[in-house]
Amino acid sequence: MTVQHTGRRGLGFIGRWGILLLAAALLLAACGGGGGAGDAGGGNAGGSGGSSSGQADEIDVAVSLQYSEVMVFWDPSDSFSNEIMAMQNMYETLLHYDPLADDFKPVLATSWDRSEDGLTWTFHLRQGVKFHTGKEMTSADVKGSIERTIQRGQGASFIWDPLDRIETPDDYTVVFHLKYPAPLDLIVSAGYSAYIFDVDVADEEWFNAGNDAGTGPYTVESWTQGEQLVLTRFDDYWGGWNDPRQWDKVVFRIVPEAATRRQLMETGQGDFTYGLPPEMVEALRSNANLQVVETPSFQNLLGMLNTEKAPLDDVRVRKALAHAFPYQQVVDHVMQGTARPARGPIPYGMWGHGEDLPQPGYDLDEARRLLAEAGYPDGGFSLVLTYTAGDEVERRAAELYQVELASLGIDLEIRAMPWEQQWDLARSPDPQQRQDILLFYWWPDLVHPQSWLDALFKSQDEILFNLSYYSNPEYDALVERGVAEAGLDREQAAATFIEAQRLLLEDAAALFIFDQKYVRVTSNRLGGYADNPAYPHVVRWYETYNAAR
Amino acid sequence: MFRRLLRNPLSAFGLVVIALLVLLAVLAPVLAPYPEDAVGATVRPERQFEPPSGEFWFGTDDLGRDLFSRVLFGARISLVAGCMTIGLALLIGVPLGLAAGYAGGLVDEIIMRVTDIMLSFPPLLLAVALAAAFGPSLTNAVLATGLAWWPWYTRIIRSAAAGIRSREYVEAARAAGAGHATIMGRHILPNALPPVLVQASMDFGSVVLTTAALGFLGLGAQAPQPEWGLMVAIGRNYFLTHPWVVVFPGLGILITVMAFNFLGDGLREVLDPRLGRARR
Repeated sequence: MTVQHTGRRGLGFIGRWGILLLAAALLLAACGGGGGAGDAGGGNAGGSGGSSSGQADEIDVAVSLQYSEVMVFWDPSDSFSNEIMAMQNMYETLLHYDPLADDFKPVLATSWDRSEDGLTWTFHLRQGVKFHTGKEMTSADVKGSIERTIQRGQGASFIWDPLDRIETPDDYTVVFHLKYPAPLDLIVSAGYSAYIFDVDVADEEWFNAGNDAGTGPYTVESWTQGEQLVLTRFDDYWGGWNDPRQWDKVVFRIVPEAATRRQLMETGQGDFTYGLPPEMVEALRSNANLQVVETPSFQNLLGMLNTEKAPLDDVRVRKALAHAFPYQQVVDHVMQGTARPARGPIPYGMWGHGEDLPQPGYDLDEARRLLAEAGYPDGGFSLVLTYTAGDEVERRAAELYQVELASLGIDLEIRAMPWEQQWDLARSPDPQQRQDILLFYWWPDLVHPQSWLDALFKSQDEILFNLSYYSNPEYDALVERGVAEAGLDREQAAATFIEAQRLLLEDAAALFIFDQKYVRVTSNRLGGYADNPAYPHVVRWYETYNAAR
Repeated sequence: MFRRLLRNPLSAFGLVVIALLVLLAVLAPVLAPYPEDAVGATVRPERQFEPPSGEFWFGTDDLGRDLFSRVLFGARISLVAGCMTIGLALLIGVPLGLAAGYAGGLVDEIIMRVTDIMLSFPPLLLAVALAAAFGPSLTNAVLATGLAWWPWYTRIIRSAAAGIRSREYVEAARAAGAGHATIMGRHILPNALPPVLVQASMDFGSVVLTTAALGFLGLGAQAPQPEWGLMVAIGRNYFLTHPWVVVFPGLGILITVMAFNFLGDGLREVLDPRLGRARR
């Protein structure tokens, strides 16, 4: 928007040398990405978000600054995107999961138990819970909601695969019968595809018209696509409104430009934002009116090594590559400390994470020794690395890696590709046509190690996300055993998953680069905020309050 | 002609700047304090984004490389890529225009219609489309720009050749038994070429800009090549906090393109006496 504005000014000024226009546009577009956009954004900020300041005596309004549309989906059964940030405040699930403490909090269910064989789970529902439609929630809604989600088959509905059938012996009891033991407590508290809603009104078109039918503390007041979503408090919320400092309204404003979001935060027109580049966050750390909140996330950066193509089909070469990666440099300088070096694929803070796993460290001498052993004492080969075009973290990591590999005599060609092309190349029918190293991020659908170990490294006849093309029957068996154990004994399953990861590290199936931290910037008046990586980017507004009151 | 060019202050300035740029480009390996930074062989992540100082004249970039060295080497890339692009466009455009102008008739008709079709696309757009098809690399960007540029030269040389074709000395050569190739090469080309060369030198700025634009769009040079457009594209992400990573490569583009445009303006004035008189 603003880029065009500055561009037009450039036209008038340099018009005589038509060709120069392009140079000016190029330069100004570059600048516009930063400075110019900030000015314009600040200008119209007063209109929509300004209500957050100066009205503290009447009602408390919190403003969340988003980089893209919040309500991608309106149907709680189909939800699989950004709307989680709003929906977790509009809808509720039976339980809520705290992955860092590995603990469940009762929400719509007050108590639950599991049969000895792990196949039958019984949930006792909270009484007197009202939907935003005014109806009281009963077991029929729970059964109906989940069955509708499964039947629609959208979002993360596959998490219900272990489910056989649901029984509702009375209005406040729900019994789940499973086909095989599975961690149903995790499934019913999932961020997607586990919402309970009023099944009587559930209709795709009705939802898409901007309606909600949840039990949560907030309900939709208004929505303007691409601009903002306003949630207002639901007076009949079962939890009550006991603290006068709680927010009456929450505004989600869509502000794509990072620089503009930064400026809005600095001028007190936002209470929460995320997705700012590390350099910008560094600049905000010194601002006394803002807080920078860092929490471990479940997102990590992986470098998938092509185990099928020479010379990376030799495990010694792969190990050498793993020892040549400058893990600490990337964490310290590219991520500015907002990440920690990985220990295998399962990220820090999640069950199944193995802090004691033997992660290969940066050690060029060891890399040289391994290369010599494999018959490449002076390197002498070249590799192709692909990354997703536009991702600055991946590009900088790749360039740092390129320098390290060059010192081993390995020529690294770095290719920036749009993700679809990168993925297509990775799945070329001929393995020899594929890349040697592929950088990408991974995060879970369900807080379950299976999300990595199964999808990324289990043998696949048709390649989907096993982009290392790793195939090891011993590993496959371990993962399958772990998945089966997870429904009965999570500790046992975690131990099995750690054994499986040990195999991945021994075989150097990938570069496990870093586990990312989520970095949010909040205003000083946002009290009670705690990040929960199981629900990415979600603020539970009901639990926060206006600390400036 | 050269003296008249120098008498015009704008084109004189352009010429001096171009001469300086060529000198800097040629001497880059000697002048650059950290030549290995330019090719991406060294990184200093712990010193990234340092502002301009005595040690790093233009500051350092996102990986701690000396920006001055990189911008200097960028001049080499831009000038060499520009020469190659123009060369490629001439290599395609000149023979086609010559053939069209000399042969006339159906040959002329076919060649000129193809040229018209090519001309109906803005050259930058065509270059972007071709570069996207070829895959991103500096070589492909040069190829794509060259392929988008030749029709201009075909047109100019065709009209010159068509005019020369019926001159007496060409008739005389034909009467003396010279073959078509000899006539085209010996008698028509030397007389038709000058306006094309003038046009080519005036186009140089646009070509440098197109290469930079392709680099900026990710369709040209690839990291860690110190290509100006690419450096601007990458630096854009850090512009707000570390402006120098954009400003210096951007200035490189601006100065180069401006110098060639000043020269082009001067050339036009020198070659078009009417315009020149009107000015004075």
